[in-house]
This record gives sequence, C-alpha cells and structure tokens, in this order.
Amino acid sequence: MAGPGPNPRTVDDVLAWLSAGRISSGEALVLFQRLETRAAPPAPAGDGEADGERQRRLEAVMAELDALIGLAPVKELVRELAALVEIQRRRAAAGLSTEPMALHMVFTGNPGTGKTTVARLLARLFHGLGVLPREHLVECERADLVGEYIGHTAQRTREQIRKALGGVLFVDEAYALARGGEKDFGKEAIDTLVKAMEDHKDEFIVILAGYRDEMEQFLSVNPGLRSRFPIHMDFPDYTPEELYQIALRLCQERQYRLSPAAGLRLKRFLAEEAQASPYAGNARLVRNLIERAVRRQAVRLARRRHVSRGDLMTLEASDVLEAAHQLGTRHRPDHRVAVLHPGKPWAAGAGVARG
Amino acid sequence: MKRCIVIGQPNVGKTMFVLQFALYLGLAEARIAFAEAGGRRWEKAYRVDHALADLTGAGPHHTRQLQSIRLDLPVGKGRRALELVDTSGLVDGIHPDAAIRRAMAQTLATVRDAHLILHVLDAAAAGRRGALAGIGEVDYQVAQFAQMRGGYLLLANKMDLPDAPRGLARIRQELAGHPIAPISALHRQGFHEVKAFVWRHL
Repeated sequence: MAGPGPNPRTVDDVLAWLSAGRISSGEALVLFQRLETRAAPPAPAGDGEADGERQRRLEAVMAELDALIGLAPVKELVRELAALVEIQRRRAAAGLSTEPMALHMVFTGNPGTGKTTVARLLARLFHGLGVLPREHLVECERADLVGEYIGHTAQRTREQIRKALGGVLFVDEAYALARGGEKDFGKEAIDTLVKAMEDHKDEFIVILAGYRDEMEQFLSVNPGLRSRFPIHMDFPDYTPEELYQIALRLCQERQYRLSPAAGLRLKRFLAEEAQASPYAGNARLVRNLIERAVRRQAVRLARRRHVSRGDLMTLEASDVLEAAHQLGTRHRPDHRVAVLHPGKPWAAGAGVARG
Repeated sequence: MKRCIVIGQPNVGKTMFVLQFALYLGLAEARIAFAEAGGRRWEKAYRVDHALADLTGAGPHHTRQLQSIRLDLPVGKGRRALELVDTSGLVDGIHPDAAIRRAMAQTLATVRDAHLILHVLDAAAAGRRGALAGIGEVDYQVAQFAQMRGGYLLLANKMDLPDAPRGLARIRQELAGHPIAPISALHRQGFHEVKAFVWRHL
C-alpha cells in the first residue's frame, strides 16, 4: 500500500482525509500507528516565524533564569515545568491524551530570596510556552484585595483578578488573608480568588507567596487551597557567598566595582549578618547595602577636587563599612523582626476554615 | 466506564454480535444510543430481540452510525459499567459513498480511545472465497494497529456455516499471533470465551 504523500499532524487530519475519500480506512489505521509511534512533531501548529520568535524569547527567559545566583532547586523545578508544558503541547499535537495542568503555585521563603523575580520570569516563560496569552504580572497583597465593608472585598479582589487575566496574579504575603479569622474579609478574598480560578481556568496563573511557616499554616487552615495550588517552590535563604556574588552583580550592573579591601569588608559583614540574624540571607539587604555604599562614595568623592575614572567606579572599604554600619542588624532598631512576628494571630482565633 | 468497540468489515455480523452478546449477558431490554457521523444523536429503548430484527439485515452497510449499549455488569463483589459500541463496517479502498466514508472515520475515531477492541471476521467468507477475500487489507491493518494495545480479540464469526472451519484455519494462519475466538453470533455460541476476555479487562 502506497502511503499518502503528506504526513498527518493530528488524528483529525487522518479522519478528515478518510472522510474526504483521500485515503482508505486501512491507510488511516497505518497513519494512526505512525502518529503514535513516530517522534512527536518538533513544533506544533503555527507559522514558522512566530514560532522562531517565541523560541528565542523562551531561550532568553531561560538564560535569565540561569543567570540568577543560587536558587538551584527553584531553577530545577522551573525547568521541569517548562519541559512538562512543552511535552504536553507536543502530545496534544500528536493526538495523545494530555493531563490538564494546574499551574497555580505557592512560593515560600523569606523576603528578598527571589520570589518576585522568579514569578516575573515565570510569567514570561508561560507566555513563551503559549500557556498564557500575556506576559504581565500583577502584584498585590492583602491591602489590595480586602475591602472595608461587606461585598467590597469581592469587588476589589475581582478587580485585581481582572487586571491579572491573561497573566500572573502574584499575591504577596498571602497568609495575611487568613489573619483575621473566620469573620474577616480575608476569607472572602480567598473564596473570590478560588472561584475566579475555576471560572477563568487556564486564563491566568495565581502565585501565593509568603514566609514558609506562615504559608504552611495558611494552607493547613484552608484545606481546599493545597490541591488547587499543586506546585510548591521553596526559596532558600542565600548563603553569604551567594549574597557576595549578588553584590558583585549589582555593582557590575551599575558600573561600579569593589576595591579588594571593600570586597573583604563586605564578605565579613555578610558572614556576621548571617550569624546574627536568621533573616539576613536576602538579596534586599545586599541591594540596600550597595545603594548606601554608592551614596557614601559620592559623599567621599564630592569633597575631592581631582577624581579619576577609576575613582568614580570604585567602592572603597570605608564606603562599605559606613553603609554596613547604617544597615547592620545590631546597629538599628529592628523593624523587620517586628513585622516578621505578627503574633501568630491564627493560633488564637482563626479556627478551622469552613470546608 | 470501559468502552468496548466492535469493528470489522461490513456484513460480518457486528450488530448481531453486540445484540446477541447483550442477550447472553442477560439484558432483555436496552437503551441504545445512536450517534451519527454528522453529530446527530438519539436514544431508543428496545427489547433486544426487537432490536435484532430492526438493526440487523442480510446486506452490508446496515449500520451507518455508532450504536452503543451500556451494560452494568457484576464483577466480583461490585458492578462495572461497560459500553458496548457497535460501529459501521470498514471497507478496503476508498468507498464512493461520502456518508459511508464519514461513518468509517467516526468508527476509527472511536477505535483510538477504546479500552477493548473486538474485531469481527466472517469465517465463512474466509473459507468460501479464499483468505484474501474474507480477510481484507483493512483487517490486517486493524490487527496491526490493535496489536500495539492490550485488549484486542479477534472473533471468527458465522461458525455455524459449512465453510467456516476452513475459514477459521485460514484466519489462524493469516492473523497468527492474535487471540482468536470462534463464535456464532446468531446462535450465541462461543460467547463464554468472549465474556471471559471482556471480564479480564474490566
């Protein structure tokens, strides 16, 4: 039996040809087998140019992800997700059954560990993979979702969802939605969100982010949530070495460099911070430090009459030291810790969420 | 629910088999769901013996749409639902009638997601006219396609006719390697093995 010229892309092609009288039913069965056994089509339907463009953007996103310092487990998981989405798409193109994918996620980790950064990359990644029609990310927190009177919350939450449709809704410190207990409007925000996730299935992705323990508690008092957010990414604190690498990167981006003494000073500061505070492992600390050091350098150089190009670029040990003094945990009233322990309000009266 | 599809060339006794098998399993009345290739669907409640008179005939291409019967079968201590799907016949070559081609496309679409495939062959025709006439190109293709998946059984039908034993031998030779159950759908013979096969896959 002579095989028909063109290769079918999907089962529907085969059936259409059979209906149209182009092939016999026996040939159709042969094509079925070919569809099932042959290598899946390299790229699904779509014109080559748009696909190439998409591929390039996808590679750009993956490259950016790889360039992030640390975050090894997160990168691994993102790569897994990207591969899974891609293969499901190819399976669909090959006429194979596909698993419906829920891509809603929970991000846990301390502040400054890269959650928002990764969320932004994911929005672009899923757009590149064709899962999301847009690549934007809407960031919100309790204050944006919860209203002041009955009915207001649903309205505000829907407003945020409407903005996020087609992209990613990133709810920072999501555990705060369960803060006020059963009567709190936060519950209403959660319910509205869950309902929208069903109504707008596949139209947007929700990421709930927050501290590890608080999020764990949040998910355990809202049992329905855990299954709706099947992907869990944990963002470990950065090690002092990783923070140092981040500092170098930040300097480089700004066309600054650390003098050897400043580098040593910074390393020591980061190591001391790591000893002193459990919340030191975050990139925000480093960013603040570098920004302050840049200002100290400006003050120092402004007094001088002759400044070389090298001077303009170099952060000296004294700049880092002064910035560190301004920032160091032991030298400032610790507002961060005050925020970190909001008295575990759920322990008191949150009770068990309604099923 | 598991779906068991019955396929084969026209006029090999697919509809006869489905209805007689339903009777054999103790079903006196059935709601038969019809689905046309064009998308029209309807249901009709039948006494199975009346359905036999209505839905089967001596000529080919009697069945032009999918006809399915839902069976609720006792398996072990529980019950399992099985959908028995009767299809329109597959022919070799390209059929001139577009309606029949569409019906065949519908049949093949169903084949792909069936859990069980019962492939009916006319053993008498195979014996009478030689293997090549009774066993069509399409039968080889079905066998080859179904081989890749579990739950495939060949039914050598019309074993009550005189030429059938010779036909059965030919089928065994031509389609070696596939499980074959000789049956007579008309007389409900050989159904025990078919039932055992279906049960194994429920």
